[in-house]
Amino acid sequence: MSTSILIVQSGLAEHSRKNRWPARLDLLQSGTGLLLALFMWGHMFFVASILLGETAMWSITRMFEGYFFFGGAHPRLVSCVVAGVLLLFVLHALLAMRKFPADYRQYRTLRAHVKAMRHVDSALWIWQVYTGFALFFLASAHLYQMLVWPQNIGPYASADRVWSDGLWPFYLLMLLALEVHGGIGLYRLAMKWNWPGFSRNFLKKLKWALTGFFLILGLMTLGAYMKIGFEHQARYGERYRPADLPAWLERFAPAGDFPRRDAKENAP
Amino acid sequence: MKTRITDVLVIGGGLAGLRTAIGAAKRGHEVLALSLVPPKRSHSAAAQGGMQASLANVVKGMGDTEDIHFEDTVRGSDWGADQVVARMFVNTAPKAVRELASWGTPWSRVKSGKREVVINNEKVTITERDAAEGLIAQRDFGGTKKWRTCYVSDGTGHAMLYTVGDQAIAQGIAVQERCEALSLIHDGTRCYGAVTRNLATGELFACLARATVIATGGAGRLYRVTTNAVICEGMGHALALETGVAALGNMEAVQFHPTGIFPAGILVTEGCRGDGGLLRDVEGHRFMPDYEPEKKELASRDVVSRRMEEHIRKGMGAASRFGPHLWLDITLLGRRHIEHNLREVKEICAYFLGIDPAEKWIPVRPAQHYTMGGVRTDYTGQSPHLKGLFAAGEAACWDLHGFNRLGGNSVAETVVAGMIVGETVADFCDNPENDLAAPIALAREYVRREEEKLLALLHSKGEENAFKLCVEMQEIMTRCVGIFRAADGLQDGVSHLQRLLQRSRHIGVQSKTWGSNPELVAAYRVRRMLKLALAIAYGAYQRTESRGAHFREDFPARNDRDWLKRTLAFWPKETEEEATLPHLEYEALDVHAMELPPGWRGYGAKNHIEHPDTAERQFAVERVKNHVQLAGGDRFALQQELMPYLDKLPARLQGRNERLDEPL
Amino acid sequence: MSAEMPNQHRRVTLNILRYNPQDADSEPRLQSYMLEEADGMTLFIALNELREHQDPTLQFDFVCRAGICGSCAMMVNGRPRLACRTLVADLPLETTLTPLPFFELIGDLSVNTGKWMRGMSERLQTWLHARETEPDLQRIEERMEPEIAEAIYELDRCIECGCCIAACGNARMRPDFVGAVGLGKIARFYADPRDTRDDDDYFELIGDDTGVFGCMSLLACHDVCPKSLPLKTQIAFLRRKMALIA
Repeated sequence: MSTSILIVQSGLAEHSRKNRWPARLDLLQSGTGLLLALFMWGHMFFVASILLGETAMWSITRMFEGYFFFGGAHPRLVSCVVAGVLLLFVLHALLAMRKFPADYRQYRTLRAHVKAMRHVDSALWIWQVYTGFALFFLASAHLYQMLVWPQNIGPYASADRVWSDGLWPFYLLMLLALEVHGGIGLYRLAMKWNWPGFSRNFLKKLKWALTGFFLILGLMTLGAYMKIGFEHQARYGERYRPADLPAWLERFAPAGDFPRRDAKENAP
Repeated sequence: MKTRITDVLVIGGGLAGLRTAIGAAKRGHEVLALSLVPPKRSHSAAAQGGMQASLANVVKGMGDTEDIHFEDTVRGSDWGADQVVARMFVNTAPKAVRELASWGTPWSRVKSGKREVVINNEKVTITERDAAEGLIAQRDFGGTKKWRTCYVSDGTGHAMLYTVGDQAIAQGIAVQERCEALSLIHDGTRCYGAVTRNLATGELFACLARATVIATGGAGRLYRVTTNAVICEGMGHALALETGVAALGNMEAVQFHPTGIFPAGILVTEGCRGDGGLLRDVEGHRFMPDYEPEKKELASRDVVSRRMEEHIRKGMGAASRFGPHLWLDITLLGRRHIEHNLREVKEICAYFLGIDPAEKWIPVRPAQHYTMGGVRTDYTGQSPHLKGLFAAGEAACWDLHGFNRLGGNSVAETVVAGMIVGETVADFCDNPENDLAAPIALAREYVRREEEKLLALLHSKGEENAFKLCVEMQEIMTRCVGIFRAADGLQDGVSHLQRLLQRSRHIGVQSKTWGSNPELVAAYRVRRMLKLALAIAYGAYQRTESRGAHFREDFPARNDRDWLKRTLAFWPKETEEEATLPHLEYEALDVHAMELPPGWRGYGAKNHIEHPDTAERQFAVERVKNHVQLAGGDRFALQQELMPYLDKLPARLQGRNERLDEPL
Repeated sequence: MSAEMPNQHRRVTLNILRYNPQDADSEPRLQSYMLEEADGMTLFIALNELREHQDPTLQFDFVCRAGICGSCAMMVNGRPRLACRTLVADLPLETTLTPLPFFELIGDLSVNTGKWMRGMSERLQTWLHARETEPDLQRIEERMEPEIAEAIYELDRCIECGCCIAACGNARMRPDFVGAVGLGKIARFYADPRDTRDDDDYFELIGDDTGVFGCMSLLACHDVCPKSLPLKTQIAFLRRKMALIA
């Protein structure tokens, strides 16, 4: 057995050179958090493309499936991205959990502390704990779904899921949890490592502004899917297919999928 | 009975106590320090302005030497100081500053080149030497000929205390916090330690030690308005006094600081005036030059305080609900200076007065500040009356300050005395003659006595209230034994205090807990404080002259002929519980042994009555000067001829001090 | 300039947490005291008045009463503050005073910060580790840039009052955390060119979850520090330095 294991087992870890892992874990926690937050923002924009129209959303979905690059849609590509995100997510959750209250005594102390102190940043962290805890389940479920059924992403498929499958409350909750958690997280990241050049006050305002922006964007997006899902419920299961694509995009589509209108018109 | 045995027992965890403890510990002795509070909360932390040491780094300090520091100190003391001690002190002060620098004190440093300062209400540009860049800086202080006060912004005491406190931790020195010494264990000739009480649990211990050091600071809380912390109640003084064997020296010498914030008495540093701040009256007039054309705001503290009170008596104070006061104006120093070099002052003004001192004047009035009197020791720091008992710092009458201490000499004294007494204590413990067979029976007797006293207080049916007695005492002291003293008031004060002492024998306490019990503490302390108050008031009454901070309106002249002597106060041993007055003795100062014979201080009144030996000694000094000069001797040779002292210093402190202009 | 108008004096209520851990019968409870406000009355004056006139058993700690020594930190309406420089006039009609949490309670408002601070100092070795242990005191001192000296003093101003620890959510949950006071002290020695310790040495002291990586950047320490120490930037600085080691 290795010496280090025996030293730790003997309760003498504190007496040998300090392990580098706490430092690495701390960095990893911040790093995974940052990546997840950035991913979340991008993801939000992609999903919100529905606000620009069904074709826009369809195009973006197809893009991720490699449709415009590989001559056909490969939803497994999405699965791969999801797998990566899931890995980040699990890692982040595991690392963040170290900081959660570990038992009722700690939880009760912390809650009383935050309540009595009336200190905003401390209260924000409690909200991060709550939302982080909620995301264990919400984000896991969502990621699993996307991992296994990546083909079910699209203007109608997603809208059906939101409306006809009755998942809109799930998405609403996840939206709230995610935006609150990520916004606070990014702000705290800046505090933790001291992002130079910006005052804490400014960053805090920026944080609220960003959270507000993404919440509104998210709510509008969710509303849009609900509307489409509602209108589409009679044709549940049908996949969207755009009548045509803008010319600049159509050039990338696999040959023949979108016979050009002018070509059609020129046909004998 | 719980007993602890150690080599050195240090009572008090401030700068003097900790530095002494470190000295003894480094020499290989076991030290136990007792402190009423965590050591870093000691009142040393409140010293803001700085520490005098003749480093001569800044351009306004050039040419400064131990000699000038010595003269300033002796003049400041109004010739009350022990000149040998003053010599030991000035030679060690630069070493103390440098030692602290090597231990981590972030002394403010010289920046070479031009800078603007305020001197005598005028902006002046001075140019610091390139050679001094990065060396420890000095600022101006009252009563000094050169800029000599080394400083850390205006948190000098704090920075020093944290440095020394951290070193004490590094040395592993045991500190018993929240622990009070109730009485010294002694047999009339030898001190064996102290009976101590844990203030949190009430537990009594007998702490037996080969050497016992009192380093408990001042007794400012005998007065109603004081800059001192609430723990500065003179309990170390009282320990010595109550032995009936050890003496307190010069207790009537009480310093009032010119700039206590009015009315709370919180200190604003002398650095304010040193850096160019002015005193103004109700009309905004700068009045100090009218009284002291030469030193103005920067005469010694006793003089400035007296002039301020004099000016208030003329009706020139600004009126307020709490009485008249004067103004300290530092607005002319500019915001940048205040926010960098006087930031504690800025904080204090903001929190306690709600003003910004860069824009508004600060209301000030003199407040009790420093206890020159203390446990009488010889130059080694040992009591000449009780073997094995030492004292250092403000609690001691070593006698560096005589009848008035110069600003910047208090924290300097704490560390210098700590360096010296730490060594002598170690020497004492190294000497097998001073070994001791632990006198357990004696200790048991002392613990029993203290226990009985405490129980008697707890079960007393008396109606007197300790807190009320304390306030009455403070008011009498402020009224009768303040800046201006006269026979009538002093007599009145003494008899009042005597009555209070008698009443204090009938204190009752409501709270009967043996453990943490603030009322019980107040009860046993007020009795001791009253004895000290009596030593001050009675000493002041008897001393029919004015010297330094002791000013008698009915005897306004310094009288070297009759009073060039140190007051020694003893508490009558046999009648300890009935006595209401200390027994006073006097210890004459030998003019023939003085390096600097008595004369005019250079500020204040020019009206002293000469000592019969002064002229003769003056003549002798001049002769020696000429003689040494002719022989081509330097200042060290001259000093050696006038008053040899080096052999009295521990060997490692005997060396000369290097300066930019005075290489070794 | 000074003949201010006499203020209207309010009667204020102080609800004080009473508990004596030495007394087996004692149970934590709030006790209300009424007192008349006076001009310039701080909590130092108010509490002493209560003890002298209403309740001699009341326990609390003051030393310098000038905001310098750090003895009197307590929770004033839920937040840690120095009581001596808290003006009663700035408080609402009803104020709650409770002892600093986290530290060992001696009784009522009195806590044993000294013991914890000493332990922290020993653990983090918060003293200067100089090159020479016995420097030649006769010689001119080592030079230091004036700006560096000022920067060190800026961090050296900590008064170990314990406010940062009492305000720290992490310390409340995990008592082995060294807190902002500990990290601030390390930053102070880190900034000091006289200290010979390098990054590896500091990592040994604070490179884990009881040290700098335990900090969750809730910044309550920074917000309550009575000396306005730059704790936020200093802790972040140490975190970056220590992360680089790994």
